[in-house]
Amino acid sequence: MLILVLYLLGVALLCALGIWFIGRHSRHSRHGRFSHGKNPVRTHGTTSRRKNRPRLGVQRKSEPYLFLLPTLLLLLLMFGYPLINSFIMAFQNYKLTAPGKIYFNGLDNFRKLFGESDIWLIIRNSFIYVLISVLGQFLLGMTLALALNKKFKLRGLYQAIVFLPWSLSAFVIGLMHRWSFNGEYGVINDMLIKLSLISEKIAWLGTPGFSLAVVIMAMIWMGIPFFAIMILASLQSIPISIYEASHIDGCGPLRRFFQITIPYIKPTVIVTILLRTIWIFNSFDLIVVITNGGPANYSQTLPSYMYTKAFSSYDFGLASALGVLLMAVLVVYVTVFLKTTRYNKAGNF
Amino acid sequence: MNRKKIVLVIAFIAIMAGLAAGPSAEKQTTELRFIDVSPSPTRQEYFTTTFDKFEQEAGIKVVYESVPWDDAANKLTVLGASNQLPDVMTTWAGWLGQFTEAEWVVPLTDYIGSATDEYAATVTQLVWKAEKELYGNIYTIPDGMMVKGVFVRKDWAEEANLDLDPKKGWTYSEYFDTVYALTDPAKNRYGTSFRGSRGAFDPLYVYLESLQGGSAYAEDGSTLFANQEAVDAYERWGALYLNGAAPKDAINWGFVEMVDNFVGGLTGTLINDSEVAATCIENMTDDQWMVMPMPSSDKDGMIYNTVNSPYAYSISSSSKNKDAAWQLIEFLTRPDNNIEYCKLTGLIPIKTAVGDDPFYGPDGPYATFVQQLNDPAMVVPVAFGPFNYTDMHQGMMHEELQKYLLGKQTAEKSLFNVVLELESRMKAYLAENPGSAVEQPKGLL
Amino acid sequence: MKYTAKRRLGNLGRGLILLIFMLLVILPIYWMIISSLKTNAEIINAQQVTYYPHQMTGENYTQLFKLYNYRQMLTNSLIVSISTGLCITLLSIFGGYGLARYSFRGKDTMLLFFLVTQMIPGILVIIPLYVIFSKLGLINTRLSLFFFYLIVNLPFCVITMRSFFERIPYTLEEAAYVDGCSKMTSLVRIILPVMFPGIVAVFVFAFIGAWNELIAGTIFINTSNLWTVPVGLKSLIGKYDVKWGVLMAGGVGALIPTAFMFAFMQKFVVEGLTAGAVKE
Repeated sequence: MLILVLYLLGVALLCALGIWFIGRHSRHSRHGRFSHGKNPVRTHGTTSRRKNRPRLGVQRKSEPYLFLLPTLLLLLLMFGYPLINSFIMAFQNYKLTAPGKIYFNGLDNFRKLFGESDIWLIIRNSFIYVLISVLGQFLLGMTLALALNKKFKLRGLYQAIVFLPWSLSAFVIGLMHRWSFNGEYGVINDMLIKLSLISEKIAWLGTPGFSLAVVIMAMIWMGIPFFAIMILASLQSIPISIYEASHIDGCGPLRRFFQITIPYIKPTVIVTILLRTIWIFNSFDLIVVITNGGPANYSQTLPSYMYTKAFSSYDFGLASALGVLLMAVLVVYVTVFLKTTRYNKAGNF
Repeated sequence: MNRKKIVLVIAFIAIMAGLAAGPSAEKQTTELRFIDVSPSPTRQEYFTTTFDKFEQEAGIKVVYESVPWDDAANKLTVLGASNQLPDVMTTWAGWLGQFTEAEWVVPLTDYIGSATDEYAATVTQLVWKAEKELYGNIYTIPDGMMVKGVFVRKDWAEEANLDLDPKKGWTYSEYFDTVYALTDPAKNRYGTSFRGSRGAFDPLYVYLESLQGGSAYAEDGSTLFANQEAVDAYERWGALYLNGAAPKDAINWGFVEMVDNFVGGLTGTLINDSEVAATCIENMTDDQWMVMPMPSSDKDGMIYNTVNSPYAYSISSSSKNKDAAWQLIEFLTRPDNNIEYCKLTGLIPIKTAVGDDPFYGPDGPYATFVQQLNDPAMVVPVAFGPFNYTDMHQGMMHEELQKYLLGKQTAEKSLFNVVLELESRMKAYLAENPGSAVEQPKGLL
Repeated sequence: MKYTAKRRLGNLGRGLILLIFMLLVILPIYWMIISSLKTNAEIINAQQVTYYPHQMTGENYTQLFKLYNYRQMLTNSLIVSISTGLCITLLSIFGGYGLARYSFRGKDTMLLFFLVTQMIPGILVIIPLYVIFSKLGLINTRLSLFFFYLIVNLPFCVITMRSFFERIPYTLEEAAYVDGCSKMTSLVRIILPVMFPGIVAVFVFAFIGAWNELIAGTIFINTSNLWTVPVGLKSLIGKYDVKWGVLMAGGVGALIPTAFMFAFMQKFVVEGLTAGAVKE
């Protein structure tokens, strides 16, 4: 208990100190080395940059670090060890059930991983799952955001409702889908039959292809609001004057969309897609709840496979190897994504 | 500015204090932690009141901890890996393979000592004997016993003019006939709650074993199921699904869907543990359901049925008060506490001293289950093995079956993939543990 | 006229899109609500799917609160989520500001590190953290959840906050400096008010992230009096049966606080972020 109190006091003091420090320093350096935030429509003050020569160079350099200190400290403290640990475990024979038999085994874990009979099916599923989910969320979220971008009666109420799926936990959403798409007593089949869209019940969760589709649908349903909120927020910040100017210039709505709207919301869209891809790629709760990877691994993805594998075989060497592999794929993705979208140009990322 | 800073800091500390205000971590001299892996309001109520009684009698405080069943295995894994397991754990038999391999549980043989005759034959002759054969020691004290039975829609059977008598029992072929007879797609009725997902191999394996006198391995550890006879049986089992005696959807059914669909009126039979009787009592009328014993073997006429306890008590190796922990287990399984618990949870008591309670008599809801336990023809077949098979149980086994049911793989390949993997693990285990032998099927009488 | 006709068509299309989205959301939630009002027998009846409760009952809600101590779960969830949200908001204001307004050595590495923390599969983090937390005596306190949710959601929130800062023109700050304000003062007095919608949004992101998390909740918490809502709901899935009705009632209950929050938030997100541009 004492340790806890001391720890908390420490964290609190640290934060207070940081704030005070920043406050003190900033008084001396009103015009630091600012990198101007990227603004697609450059209508204002790019000239202010580095206009005034810094007076207290050494201290100013530390300024951004001070701002980021608490965040960085927390993340390094909490993630540092697990991160390093999983890299080491990936090259070890590491079974929870045999703590006495831990030793380095080179690439054995990776070999074992690619020796699994269904591994290519699982990899294929993972890509389909991520690609369609992200695209679906993005396109539908964008549509919703555009539709919401104009005032109409009761817009507030409408938004409050339409954003709700995002606030449900994945496990409740998963359970709802597992239940609704049940081939026998599920409401989806019942509805489709009553509407004469199908003549025979479909075993949604028992048919290869369909089961993955249900998981993807659930994922999209859950994620639309997030994209919509982010895109809507940036749509709303497009200065009206720009649209007015384009009207005078005689731009059509399509041209306006592609030449003003898209460039303006691009940074937000890029960040959102980036973060969501990572998040979706790593999420397995929906899959575990809805189909448990079934039937016969046809809706299994790498993370859900890893989750089941780690906890059923206790082989954390294998799980870590898979984890490291996932991270490697994601790092490559992030790099390529940022390069191709040229987000780098403005000093962002 | 300054004021704001101070306010900020105070707010921060206040937040922290609010979060920290949980149960205080002050330790008393002896305090035990107990984890329940299948919490429900009834169980929590029972355990907390029993723990209060225990504290009054023994002066030892017990903290009731719990984790949802679905996440229980994972949680115990994390706790075990970080050496933080509670003193007394409720343990499902299927976890014992890993728990003993990792030495997360301690042997109880010395604690039990000579008191073995207090326990019912189901415990001494079946559970403990199996544990000794599999893991070399006794590791659990059963909380209560359960056997499997076949839940049948009584009203459907009557409509179909089927003569089903629990006392007389039935054979597997009669069981299959019944399943087909109860199937009527026009009425949206299916013969059986087929288990296609997790645990699919449990009833199937027992069926295969019924053709081999309850065994699964030869003495050298090679499987008994890599032959045409087993493939035929495997196909007969799969045919229930392929011929439409189960809904197409059943390929992805686990426990929950099986029970839901039986109780909800879609399927006519359900092979499951006696525990499910409670769900039936709650949701169905008496003339809607009955329990048949497990079918007997077509080959030797014996009834092969698994007997185990759902959440047996064990003592973890991280416990610092193992003696106190044992005291608690003894208290929980004392005849008066045990029968109260068993009635509450739909199990059969483990102590001989509980005597003949009408609840478990021929007119009670558990008649068929108790009858099976008293049947000289009942044999408990061997388990998958003494090694860790959880990963197969949660993956490969049902995945291979599903591949066959989906027509992506032949029955033979699907069955052989599983049994040969089991065989290689069995042989590796025998080689690594000199002096160990293959488990033998057990009878009560 | 051609112009108005086109416009009317556009409005119609927009209305249709909005209607479809509304249905997509409303139907499942409607299903949850009516299921929570059905009896168990009606819910699992496999022979007939009912679209409204034929036999209305409040039993599920009574059970939820009486038997399952739902109020306690809500309290726990609220305490953890609100404090996580507040703390994350504070930290990401500083972090976001630092990332948006400066270019410094190691910025790219730092960002990559933020992203990498989002890439580590959760299980690989939870076990080592469990060891650390148990050494600190944090296991089975809300504090353990607070810390976990804090670090898990922080990187995302900092990055998001940064993108909000970038929308605020620097000229705004500059004007403040000319007036003799310090950096802190200008941050608090000038920028934050303009940023308020973004801040609200980040708070909500963090709140929701903590509100819905399940796995850490089951691992770090041992006793049911500290369970959060998702963990409590998960316990309704037994080995043999699911208490569907109670579960759905719990889902509806968990939706109410967030629904209120969304109603509050959307006003800012939609009307507020424009403010930055207007004041320009």
